[in-house]
Amino acid sequence: MKWAAWLVAMILGGLLAWTSWGLFPRPALPPWQEATAYWGARNAVAAIVLGARLYDTLFEVLVFAMAMVGVRLALRPLPKRRARPPVIESPLLERAADVLVPAIGVFGVYLAASGHLAPGGGFPAGAIVGTGLLLVALARGIRALAQEFPQPILSQLEYGGLAALLILGGGSLALGWRGGWLLTLANMLILIKVSTGAWTVLEHFAAHRGEV
Amino acid sequence: MEGQVALLLAVSLLVLGLGTLLSRRNVIWKLLGLNVASGGAALFLVAVGHRPQAVPPILGWGPGPAADPLPQALILTAIVIHFATLALSLVYVIFLTEHLHTQDVPKLERGEDE
Repeated sequence: MKWAAWLVAMILGGLLAWTSWGLFPRPALPPWQEATAYWGARNAVAAIVLGARLYDTLFEVLVFAMAMVGVRLALRPLPKRRARPPVIESPLLERAADVLVPAIGVFGVYLAASGHLAPGGGFPAGAIVGTGLLLVALARGIRALAQEFPQPILSQLEYGGLAALLILGGGSLALGWRGGWLLTLANMLILIKVSTGAWTVLEHFAAHRGEV
Repeated sequence: MEGQVALLLAVSLLVLGLGTLLSRRNVIWKLLGLNVASGGAALFLVAVGHRPQAVPPILGWGPGPAADPLPQALILTAIVIHFATLALSLVYVIFLTEHLHTQDVPKLERGEDE
């Protein structure tokens, strides 16, 4: 049976490659410089994500928030595992986390703040900050970190960021706000949203399935 | 040429993910296969945005044609959605494992206890 599954996958992949081969060479782009400058950005991707296709981004952030709510709610009835005896981590990892985590945080905020001018943006910045939190969690143990970030404050931050983002997006869609300030603010709010969401997943999984 | 190479790589990732999704019986392996396949889909769309000798689509980044920013913007949001849905589905796998003590799909379909 396994070979049949692989055969089906390969036939489908072959069909996809065969039919999409004709996509190349790609046609030239229409002039995108004016449209990018119209939204107050230099990075065309930021102009699309937070300008021309803002509806898409807003609903995507809503889907992300719903998934995080689902993680919280679905894990609530499960029993919390008792803390296993902490694994003895190498001092190398702890020192490396001490050195690297501030740099990772600053780099994440920089990427979010300059996402409309240079490569970057709120989503990759949020992923970077979430990875930095994972590094601290590996070095210090996740429970120590969870006490430093109490869950109520974190969820207030998450939902406050979501509400502010919806207000900002609504203002942009209904009242025509646009410009660099809007892109910077929206990228920072997306950074908050994505990094708190990543932390929520990490913390809940660790609390219910044992130590990281 | 790089576009075609990236396209072949994307299709092979899709085949790898889809084959794992179809042939494995463990739910977690199935989810991992689905995630690999979604990575292939992301690479496919980025490959479609490729232009020969392209620069990133940022104003003032040198002469030459720019890469298509639209698939990149699409992928930016899609990757975060992949992450969120994978987390949510893993939560339900935890739930199933707590209640039925198995991750084997045929056993789960019969509602059997291991």
